[in-house]
Amino acid sequence: MRDGSNGWKAGDDLLKLSAVSSGYGAVTIVKDISLTIKRGEIFAVMGKNGMGKTTLLKTILGFIELKAGDVTLEGASLRGVAPAKLIASGVAYAPQDQPLFQDLSIRDNIRLALRSDREFKNASERAFSYFPFLRDRLGQKAGTLSGGEQKMLTLARSLMHQPKMLLVDEVSEGLQPSVVDRIAAALKNERDANGVTILMVEQNLDFALRVADRWAILKLGAIDDQGGMESNTRERVLEHLKI
Amino acid sequence: MTLLLDIATTAAVLFIVASGLLAIFGVLKIINFAHGAWLTVGAYCSVLIAHWGLNPWLSLPFAFLVGAALGALTERLIVKPLYRRPLDAILATWGLGIVIGQLITLWFGRDVQMTPNLMSGTVGFLGVDYSAYRLFAVVAALAVGIGFTFLLDGTRLGLSARAVIMNESLARALGIDTGNVRLLTFVIGTGLAGLAGALLTPLTSVDPNMGVAWLIGAFMLVMVAGSSFGALAVACLLFGGAQVLVSTFLNPVLGGVTIAVLCALVLRLNPKGFARG
Repeated sequence: MRDGSNGWKAGDDLLKLSAVSSGYGAVTIVKDISLTIKRGEIFAVMGKNGMGKTTLLKTILGFIELKAGDVTLEGASLRGVAPAKLIASGVAYAPQDQPLFQDLSIRDNIRLALRSDREFKNASERAFSYFPFLRDRLGQKAGTLSGGEQKMLTLARSLMHQPKMLLVDEVSEGLQPSVVDRIAAALKNERDANGVTILMVEQNLDFALRVADRWAILKLGAIDDQGGMESNTRERVLEHLKI
Repeated sequence: MTLLLDIATTAAVLFIVASGLLAIFGVLKIINFAHGAWLTVGAYCSVLIAHWGLNPWLSLPFAFLVGAALGALTERLIVKPLYRRPLDAILATWGLGIVIGQLITLWFGRDVQMTPNLMSGTVGFLGVDYSAYRLFAVVAALAVGIGFTFLLDGTRLGLSARAVIMNESLARALGIDTGNVRLLTFVIGTGLAGLAGALLTPLTSVDPNMGVAWLIGAFMLVMVAGSSFGALAVACLLFGGAQVLVSTFLNPVLGGVTIAVLCALVLRLNPKGFARG
């Protein structure tokens, strides 16, 4: 990890999870997770289906209530903070399931992530810088975009505000390699140039290891292994993910 | 021609009455069974304006504001905790409607109240002399419809409301304060119910139970229309027209149940009513 071209400083703790447990009703899905993600870091959480990866992201965002432990952002507890308030404070989220309003235009999908229409020009230009095709198709309904285009729009929308932290849920799922390359380049550039801290949930091992600085494996809601990028990382992660 | 105007004006009145209910149902996914009570409150706002000797037209903004203010209190204190329990929300709003009706009875008594006409007499229109006020009702319905179209398609609140209707989880994930969107929608819906009550006063008698009869028709129309104001306009025209035809050519009593029966039939054949998809 290094300091970025826009003057951001890497290194201090941005997001901290301390013995976090959460779930739905009486069912606990995320179990006793502790993680620290530093400013300007890209962290990948990997694991098979149903291991609690998405639940972890939704817990951080406040969509799912904490059963135990605490989540802090820049040292301040997020317990009881409404998702809308957290997102307004500079945390962006690119969800995996139904990430777009299918019946709304690209323009309206972008507008919905803005606090005011006055921000549209500057914010959308940031989005278009990575995915220029969006600029010419603003009136097109999101539901008529291809799967890859929808993923790019989802990511573009989450990057518009230059968030301090971006939570990305399986953004590479089902995409052809050329689209995955573009998304990987966009994520790395956001971190390198602007210091955006990224927590990504992934099943695509190659994509995750290409982009991330550190990783963790989630198994049955708990961290099974974690580490940085070393010569044997791929084999180590594969060992956990093999069926 | 008179029959066509009767159909158009009846549809207009139905649209005005049902639009507030539809606004709330479309965004909040709950049926506000206190809608009839808010309508009655709006009508009694006209009574108060008359009692205070003020210009009768002031009853329209006054009724909207009273409906909206009471709606805000209702949403925060009663409806908000019940969004995840829509059946309980229906029961709670039904009970609230009864309480409001009793409070009105305590305050004003059971007697029918008189209000001054907002607009009296007839005007020549398309070759016939027709009630000026019923024609005004068409203008009012168009104003409500255009206002809603502008609100939904031309404002950020409308865009947020459409987003909440389509996918509330995603709306929250984008940082939209869905609680505020719900509150504003409820306030607009109850404000419109109050306005509708005031607009009805020249057409119907004002008493503590006046809202009940209108509630049934409005409820059935909203069930058929889903969350679309365009579909509501079509439903009001079709079923309001049928009501006028049955009342005119068969029996006024049968006409009174026409809307409920036809809407039930449509929902039996197509549970989604006029909604697409």
